[in-house]
Amino acid sequence: MSARDTILGMLRAALGPHRPDRAAIAAEAAALLADPALIRPALAAEDPVEAFAARVVSPKVNATLDRIGALAGLPAAVGRYLAAQGLAPEITVQPDPVLRALDWTGFAVRETALPDEAVALGRARWGIAETGSLVFESGPETAVLNHFLPLHHLVAVAAGDILPYLEDHAAVMGAAPRNLNLITGASGTTDIEGSYVRGAHGPRFLHILLIGP
Amino acid sequence: MKVDLSFKGVTGRAIADRRLKTAIDRTTMTAETKRRLALMDYPQFEAARARGTAIKDHVVANLDHYLEEFERNAVASGAVVHWAATAEEACGIVVGLCRQAGARHVTRAKSMLGEEIGLPHALEAADIERVETDLAEHIIQLAKEAPSHIVWPALHKTREEVAELFRVAHGRPQDSEDVPAMVESARRQLRSLFLGADVGISGANFLLADTGGVCTVTNEGNAELTTTPPRMHIVTAGIEKLVPSLPHAYALLRLLVRSATGADITQYTTFHTGPKRAGDRDGPEEFHIVLVDNGRSRMLATGLRDMLRCIRCGACMNHCVVYRQIGGHAYGATYPGPMGAVLTPALEGVEKTRDLPHACTLNGRCQEVCPVGIPLPTLLRGWRDTSWKEGLVPGSVRAGLWAWRFVAERPRLYRLATAAAVRAMRLFGRRGWIAGMPGAGGWTDYRDLPAPAGRTFMEQLRDRKTGR
Ligand code: SF4
Repeated sequence: MSARDTILGMLRAALGPHRPDRAAIAAEAAALLADPALIRPALAAEDPVEAFAARVVSPKVNATLDRIGALAGLPAAVGRYLAAQGLAPEITVQPDPVLRALDWTGFAVRETALPDEAVALGRARWGIAETGSLVFESGPETAVLNHFLPLHHLVAVAAGDILPYLEDHAAVMGAAPRNLNLITGASGTTDIEGSYVRGAHGPRFLHILLIGP
Repeated sequence: MKVDLSFKGVTGRAIADRRLKTAIDRTTMTAETKRRLALMDYPQFEAARARGTAIKDHVVANLDHYLEEFERNAVASGAVVHWAATAEEACGIVVGLCRQAGARHVTRAKSMLGEEIGLPHALEAADIERVETDLAEHIIQLAKEAPSHIVWPALHKTREEVAELFRVAHGRPQDSEDVPAMVESARRQLRSLFLGADVGISGANFLLADTGGVCTVTNEGNAELTTTPPRMHIVTAGIEKLVPSLPHAYALLRLLVRSATGADITQYTTFHTGPKRAGDRDGPEEFHIVLVDNGRSRMLATGLRDMLRCIRCGACMNHCVVYRQIGGHAYGATYPGPMGAVLTPALEGVEKTRDLPHACTLNGRCQEVCPVGIPLPTLLRGWRDTSWKEGLVPGSVRAGLWAWRFVAERPRLYRLATAAAVRAMRLFGRRGWIAGMPGAGGWTDYRDLPAPAGRTFMEQLRDRKTGR
């Protein structure tokens, strides 16, 4: 008998003969998602965009935030950040058509993050106000390592793509991408005597560029 | 000198180790405070806990259904699903896959299931070089030790000890006063190893039945760096990790992270679905998922169904008075603390591990904090019961209990005996405390015993009723 048969057989023996059918199981699973308002925390502000903005700079997320009115202002905002950090204008830009279409004159731009990348810019598909998370879906225009190799992770997200709650993201997401990455702050660890240190394996700095009025 | 390896011997040494106590306190007290603060911002916790409990119960009640659904969808996404009834089978599958991939070195992101099935040893025995990438696991790999906590495996290590381990292993001087510099040293050391690995192995926090997806959560980002660059990603996961769909996982995630670290969400929460797709910029060519039973289906059949809800948050050990005195290693098993004292007898047999369910004050803190309402004290009492019924309780304890029962079942004899006892005990009392008394050394060697009042409760009650 295969391990699969053994395991399923043991489970069925333990669960007994009277079992709900598929439809009943599905109905029960759906009922477990009813009234999500009962089980989720209040947002930091009524407006999801404001809640998101407040959340990401709070100690819970500890990112830095730059709000820019329009997408066209993104390269200048990136330039400001690099200058303030004393970094060269040399970055990896996620090969996302929206980002590539911008005018990057004055920057040395790469498509793929180096093993020891200093700065990478990405564009989040969504932002989640509840947690301050940035959501990325891997694909031809989004490399996963782009979010993990750089020391400074810069992320553009449109105000129109901010969702209130985690459940709202589950509702708008289409087919599952290979990797769905929720990123909430910079990499951190408390593994040595519980003291919090940033930049464990992933980025040490997360800088969010929130685009829109 | 012969080292006493009994549970009593091990815990005795652990309690005497002041350094260990300091190390345990530093992390568990921070965790306790941060959890409390997190819940103050989340008044919905009770409702969420009831919901989380119901979700896990629903999954366990339909586990066969969800496993099959998960398998179907994972296969459709291009993953290969393997089933392992035992730890040996699971290790055999992983080692076989590594060999098939011609792997010389593999990276591994922390997984308690991997520890449970003995995967580190199995890889070593197969001559496959293993790099632990979670910082704490990296530390204990260098120290050749086992984890002592399910969330902070290196909680027992001081920064001085870590500095010494890193100095030797990283070949660079370390300053134990500068923890960020030590973290940076590990970052430099591991970066090239991430990118050069042939296989990446991870665990799973949740398995999503409706997509075949696998969820990992970390704060360091090591899971993604472990699973993205290599040609092959292998997941080892316990069969109880299933949830119906993404929003169910989100509901549980809120409970898991707050209970574990007091944050609202981990820095990195990733759902992996299948191998690299056409046009993808990175990702593994092969994606294997090993579904491991290793005693779980037996737990379902033997009254431990509630334990299958466990989401491995570690809150029960952070709040356990016993764990905080003796630390994780004293439990002598992969899972320490209250959840470990319930799980270990199920995994390894109660004959060898009967001390664990007895090393508990039944104060109930663990159940109070458990985010999925597991009645840990009741389950521990269940093991005590089993150990009594199977005749595993030592003869002296049995004899004592029989004697007590004999007296307790005879009220007149009982009253007589207690009246004599309280009077005899008073002879040893000094200012209301007993510092020593024949037969009471187990207590009085460590602290004084309050001397009883002059008469028993029943005597006093009788006096009161008769108005004297
Ligand atoms: S038993 Fe409860 S508190 Fe303990 S690790 Fe499991 S889920 Fe957390």
